[in-house]
Amino acid sequence: MKKYKEYIALTIVSIILGIIVSVQFKTVNKTLGEGLLPTQRAQQLASELKKAQNERDLLINKVDELEAKIKQYEIEEVDKNIYAENLYNDTMKYRMLAGYLDLEGPGVVIEINDPPVDLEYGLGYSIIDELDLVLQVISVLNAADAEAISINDQRYTSFTEIEKAGNHIEINGVSTSPPIVIKAIGPPDTLESALNLKGGIVTILRNYDYLVQVYKENNIIIPKSRKIKEFIYAKPVEENLD
Amino acid sequence: MIGVFISTQIKMKLETITPITIRSLQTMKAEINALNNEIAELNNIIKMKEEELALLENIAKGDDNIINILLEDIKYNKIHSGKTALEGPGIIIKMYDNPEERPFGYDLNEDVIHDVDILNIINDLRIAGAEAISINNERVLSTSEIKCGGPIIRINGRSSATPFVIKAIGDPKVLYAAVNAPGTYGDLLKIYNIGFETSIEDSIYIPAYTGDFQFRYAKPLGKDD
Repeated sequence: MKKYKEYIALTIVSIILGIIVSVQFKTVNKTLGEGLLPTQRAQQLASELKKAQNERDLLINKVDELEAKIKQYEIEEVDKNIYAENLYNDTMKYRMLAGYLDLEGPGVVIEINDPPVDLEYGLGYSIIDELDLVLQVISVLNAADAEAISINDQRYTSFTEIEKAGNHIEINGVSTSPPIVIKAIGPPDTLESALNLKGGIVTILRNYDYLVQVYKENNIIIPKSRKIKEFIYAKPVEENLD
Repeated sequence: MIGVFISTQIKMKLETITPITIRSLQTMKAEINALNNEIAELNNIIKMKEEELALLENIAKGDDNIINILLEDIKYNKIHSGKTALEGPGIIIKMYDNPEERPFGYDLNEDVIHDVDILNIINDLRIAGAEAISINNERVLSTSEIKCGGPIIRINGRSSATPFVIKAIGDPKVLYAAVNAPGTYGDLLKIYNIGFETSIEDSIYIPAYTGDFQFRYAKPLGKDD
C-alpha cells in the first residue's frame, strides 16, 4: 500500500514538471518567433547593424567630399568681387548661428557619468531618466554666453530634441548613451564658474550621485548639424526692407 | 535527484545559447532603426549638396551669377538661424502659476512655474517637430537661455514673468498631443494645479530673434585668422 502511494506522488510530480517545461518552451518560442534561435536572430541583427553603420560612414565621407568641393568653388568665385565677398561673410555668420558650420574655439567640457550601481541593493539609475538635468545644464551654459554647444558630438541647434528612447537617448535623431559629454564654446572662465556655482547645476547633479567633471579647454571643436530642418508649416513673413 | 539533473542540464544549455536576452535584441533593433533614419537624412543632404555643386559649376562656366546664389543662401540660412519672422499653423500654450489662494502643497515652490517646466515643454515641442518656438514673443534659439531669476524668468537676456505664452509652429495635432496626452510633462503640470491652456491656431506669428549676434570665441574650423 505504501509503495502504491509513492508511485502516485511520483507520477503527479512528473506530470507537473512536464507541463511546466512545455509551457516554458512555448512562451519562449512565441516571444522570439518560431523556428529561430535567439543566437541566429542576434547574429542577423548584428550584421544588419554593422551594414547600416558602414553605410552611414560612407555617406558622411561623401558629404564631406562634396562640401569641400563646394567650398573651393565658392572661395574661388568670391575672391573676384568685393560685394560677393561681403555677402559670403554674411552667409557664414548665419550658417554659424544656424549650426551648419563646424566651429572651434575656447570653452568648457562637462562630463556626466551615471552613478555607480549600488552593489548592496542592485539599484542603479541613469541620466537618461532625468534628461531635464541635461536641459538645465544647456540653459546654464547659454546664460553664461555660450556661442555653440554640442552634446555627445551632436550640435545643439534650435531644433534639437533630447529624447529618451528605450534605454538610450536620441539627440537630433541619432542614438547615443551615457556618459554625456557636453561641450560649449564661449568665455571659459564665465562658463566654468556658472556651472560650478555653489548650489548650481553641478552641485545638484553631484547630490544625485552623478560623477561630474568640468574642465576648461583651449580648443574645442563643435561639429555642424547633420540634420536639415525642413519647414513644412512655417512660412517666412515678408519684411519691408528699407 | 531528477530536479537537480534537469536544472543543471538547462543551465548548461542556456549558457551556450545566450547571453542574449530579448531586451538586448529589442535595443539592437531600435538602434538599427535610428541608423536607417540617419542614412535617409544623409541621402537628402547629399542630394542638396549635389544640386549646390551643379549650380556652382555653372557659375564657373560663366552661365550664372554668384551674387544671386549668395543672396538665396543668406535667405535660407536666415530662416534656419531664426533671424526671420515666421508664420504658420501651430499651437499656443498659456501657462500661469496656481491661481488659487491656498497653496497646493506644503511648499509654495510647487505652485510656481520654474525654468525646468518650460525647458521640458520646449523639449517636448521640439520632439514633436516644432519649426519655430517663442516664449512671450522672444524667439527661442539654440543659444537662448531660460533661467529662473527670483520672481522672473530670463529668456534671451530679457525678463519675463507669469503668465507665459509659448507659441509653436508645426503640425498642430502632433504639437497638441505632445503637451496634452496623458503622461506628458504638460499633463503632469495640471496635477500641480499649474495653469496650462492649449489652443490650436491656424496662423501664428513668431517674431525674428532681435538680439545682436557676435561670435567672439567661436570661429569656423580650419580658418586661422
